[in-house]
Amino acid sequence: MSEKTETRSPAPRPPEPATGRLRVLAPPVTGQEFVLLGVIAVVWVLLGLATPAFVSAGSIQPLLGAVAPIALIGIGMTVVIITGGIDVSVGAMIAVCSVIVAKLVLVQAGLGLLVALLIAIVVGGLLGLGNGALIAYGRVHAIIITFGTANIFLWISLRLFNSTTVNNIPDTLASLGNGAAGRTVGVPNSFLVTILLAAVAWVYLRHTAGGRHFYAVGGDPLAAELAGVRVRQRVLVAYVLTGLLTGLASCVVVAQGSNLGQNVGNGKELAVIAAVVIGGTSITGGRGSVLGTVLGALLVQTVASGVTQLGWRSELSDLFVGVAIIIAVGADLIRQRARKR
Amino acid sequence: MTAATTQPEVSGPGDDVPGPAAPDHAESVLARVVRALLTQRIVLLAVLVVVVVVYFFLLGQNDYLTADYDFDYMSAALINAVPLAMLGFAELFVILSGRGGIDLSVGAIVSLAGMVFGFGYGQWGWPLGLAILVTAVVGGVLGLLNGILVAYIGFPALIATLATYYAYKSLAVVINNQRPISTRPIQDLYESTARSVQLPVIGEYVPDVPKGIFLFLLPTIVVVWLLLARTTYGRRVYAIGTNDVAARWSAIDVRLTRAAAYALSGVISGLVAVVTVGQFASARPDAGVSGNGMALPAITIAVLGGVAITGGIGRVSGIVLATVLIVWMNAGIRLAFEGNAGPQNQLLALGLLLVFAALLNGFATRRYGGAG
Repeated sequence: MSEKTETRSPAPRPPEPATGRLRVLAPPVTGQEFVLLGVIAVVWVLLGLATPAFVSAGSIQPLLGAVAPIALIGIGMTVVIITGGIDVSVGAMIAVCSVIVAKLVLVQAGLGLLVALLIAIVVGGLLGLGNGALIAYGRVHAIIITFGTANIFLWISLRLFNSTTVNNIPDTLASLGNGAAGRTVGVPNSFLVTILLAAVAWVYLRHTAGGRHFYAVGGDPLAAELAGVRVRQRVLVAYVLTGLLTGLASCVVVAQGSNLGQNVGNGKELAVIAAVVIGGTSITGGRGSVLGTVLGALLVQTVASGVTQLGWRSELSDLFVGVAIIIAVGADLIRQRARKR
Repeated sequence: MTAATTQPEVSGPGDDVPGPAAPDHAESVLARVVRALLTQRIVLLAVLVVVVVVYFFLLGQNDYLTADYDFDYMSAALINAVPLAMLGFAELFVILSGRGGIDLSVGAIVSLAGMVFGFGYGQWGWPLGLAILVTAVVGGVLGLLNGILVAYIGFPALIATLATYYAYKSLAVVINNQRPISTRPIQDLYESTARSVQLPVIGEYVPDVPKGIFLFLLPTIVVVWLLLARTTYGRRVYAIGTNDVAARWSAIDVRLTRAAAYALSGVISGLVAVVTVGQFASARPDAGVSGNGMALPAITIAVLGGVAITGGIGRVSGIVLATVLIVWMNAGIRLAFEGNAGPQNQLLALGLLLVFAALLNGFATRRYGGAG
């Protein structure tokens, strides 16, 4: 083998390793994320000009608070989608975790914040473990299984709700809520936690072997398996992670209101997926970043908040979300096609 | 082993030989039954339908249900099968067409097309036939937009239909300021499309059947079956779903065929819009997206009916049987529990069925190589 190459190609040896170092990592901030940042900035400026109330603290703070649960779950969903999967059960998961937390703090008035958080996160993790185990070891299509488990989770939550809303939830979780207790130097704590966890996830996905393995699994599971990646374990971890984060996000949801309706979490799975794909994560797996997801969630929430503040029908924001998805993904498709040429 | 077992069969298959032949024969039949159950979704579904019906019938006989689970009740429950099965067909086309085909927007199309129908028939006084035609065309155009995004521009189906789900849902609400349309003609529509009627000739011996079955469901079943099983277009859909590169090499216009599948899904959703307007006696802006929406049950029906999510595999009969199974199961559950527990337990049953069906698909593929 080595003889052959020696004899056959002596002269024109391409200087591959010297100049063209193959780029494994995407740039820290990708083109799409720059564009998103720009779009968000433009929308903020325009909204600020149209309705000056938009740029006041009283408007920005609830906006960031509303971004938090979507972006938190989005971190997990990004990882899931990077592995080539999807989780449409997070909406129902929110319902389960939040009703458990709400009832718990209602019954156990003396319960500490950390205990409540811990319970929600553990419950979410268990639900995610169910999804992950079925998908990784049952070897079935993620969207089908999570459609199924979504129904089961919804059933659990409705049984726990017992046909009534949970009212007068005490302020055990106030430090994650919308009140003054939920802010540090004017920024909602829930948003700070989101940023912190997103930063951790960003580093983990970019700069550790475990994080890169998610990309490997999404790019080509067979090749990843042959390269020694424990594919099933990575897939399992992705769904458990989503579950854990959904548990945390549920606490934010509970903290933001004093009542909890049975329809909590309804449609949130699609909002999360929308944020992830607007952020530039490829639904076919192998590509994506947490930063994009946070920006995507921010854009979606900005649009929703802007539409109401302009006095338009709030349902109109869904139209803009749909258009945003088309533009974001469409631009990515066109760029990919251009790169192939 | 084989020599010993073949011998008695040779000596006389007609004889009543209880010895070694009987267990071997029984085992092979059992193995065949298991194989049929696992690989032929139709067989499994038929068995499940029988099990469900017998189970609830027995419960009803022994007074465990709040009302009798009899043929009249089962027949009346079939009204729920009309939109469910039709949307199942909508998903069938799209999922069959492959490349991760799925349509999340069917419910939103039902809402938006239903509002169009409400305007046309309910407010502007169009004749019924024209209104239905326009509604189906509107549904088709909305579906075609999905098709263009997916087939021509190359969007992943999940993303394209997620985006249009949001857009259509929003438009349906905004178009009439969130108000439903329930004028006189729309209210009368319930009488003419959804009510149960006695069948001619044999009507005295069989229970009354909801009109929607004959007006919408049966024609759709026949047309969809003809289209998929007896036309070139149908074979092309299977071809592109199985292997779209091979299909392109056999001179099939893959993009057109796939876009048409999404357009057909839209047309069917448009017809479902008419059905739902009739059923509710009102054109509701959230008809197809309220609660869990209509897309989820439709996809569930398709998967349960044996449609492979990877495309190219799936049959009309599977959709029909899966719908009947779910409708009659839900009808039974509604009688078995009082209050809200009924609808809630329907969710559990649906979820378990779906997980079970998906796991079974995976298992059957590994065991027998390819699920039917």
